Amino acid sequence: MKMIIHDLDSAVFNSFIPHVASDISVLSDTGHIKPCIGCFGCWIKTPGICVRKDGYENLGKMLSECDEVTIISKCIYGSYSPFIRNVLDRSIPYLLPYFTSKNGETHHQRRYNNSFVFTVHFYGEDLTEAERETAKELVAANGINFYSSKEKVFFYDRMESMKGALG
Amino acid sequence: MKIALMNGSPKPGNNNSGILLKKIEPLLGEGNELTSISTSGKELTPDQYRALCEMDVLLFAFPLYIDALPSHLFRIIIELERYMKEYKEKEVRVYVLINNGFYEGHQCHIAMKIMENWCKRSGLTFCGGIGQGAGEMMGTISNVPLGHGPLKDLGKAMVRISENIANGTQVEKRMLSPNVPRFFWKLMATHFFWNTTARKNHLNRRDILRKL
Repeated sequence: MKMIIHDLDSAVFNSFIPHVASDISVLSDTGHIKPCIGCFGCWIKTPGICVRKDGYENLGKMLSECDEVTIISKCIYGSYSPFIRNVLDRSIPYLLPYFTSKNGETHHQRRYNNSFVFTVHFYGEDLTEAERETAKELVAANGINFYSSKEKVFFYDRMESMKGALG
Repeated sequence: MKIALMNGSPKPGNNNSGILLKKIEPLLGEGNELTSISTSGKELTPDQYRALCEMDVLLFAFPLYIDALPSHLFRIIIELERYMKEYKEKEVRVYVLINNGFYEGHQCHIAMKIMENWCKRSGLTFCGGIGQGAGEMMGTISNVPLGHGPLKDLGKAMVRISENIANGTQVEKRMLSPNVPRFFWKLMATHFFWNTTARKNHLNRRDILRKL
């Protein structure tokens, strides 16, 4: 299974990817996503499921079924856009609360055994070199925390120039 | 000096960012006009945004979420950039206190860079700050005085950053782990936090580990 998480207007997304294959799930901004409030309910109340019910509570299970996760996001200050950040914040039930060490750093243990290729397409017109470097570091760090098998990062000055890459 | 204490935690009630702000508040000295702003559970009002543009110092405290800022706070700083560009008339300096749930403070370094990039975009003066590991311990050791026990290094760094705020100078980015051994922290987190809290919810270890 592949998952695309994007912050594009639906018309723009449909023009970029007119036909979504049956093995691809698409996660977009419905305008109703609630922020993670750090309650840890997804770890110690309803393990694996977020306690906030807004249609985004099953992100952990969704990620467990993926071998590819693709993010399309505006790059802001070297970070993802707020919706994508929100989705990632709500994805911690994919992991366990318990800790492990990876390369001398503490990280959460994995709940599931799958790994996915983590690809991020950042768009933004006037990104600075510092923002690009921060974004690359962010994706690499996220890849470690989510046990991705590989991370790929692409930047586009114009949203339209993503079309060929995504099609 | 007008200083805004920005609590960037989305967690309602007592939170670790609030504990850090409470600990630094007495160090900021007298004669300052302090404004505390919570970002939990509600949008900032236009008046609050405009008031932030009139501050001398913005002191942010927030938890690390997936290597970056919590999404609700990220929405706020994007909006604040817009207000700063319209209403700011003098230098505004930004200091940052980040806490993360892992042991190593250095895992806060990307969030620190995001704040620095935000400052550049918004015309603000980024003045550095502290990245503190084992942030979830703060609640259980909140009565420990700064500069003692597990808060030994944090105490020194807090004094330093308070001096920098008073002097109008930049502080180096300080990434701190708690003054307790890693194995002890991990033991406490596993058995006295995760497992104990789960048991209160009538869950056992097998429940916590479940796959869906």
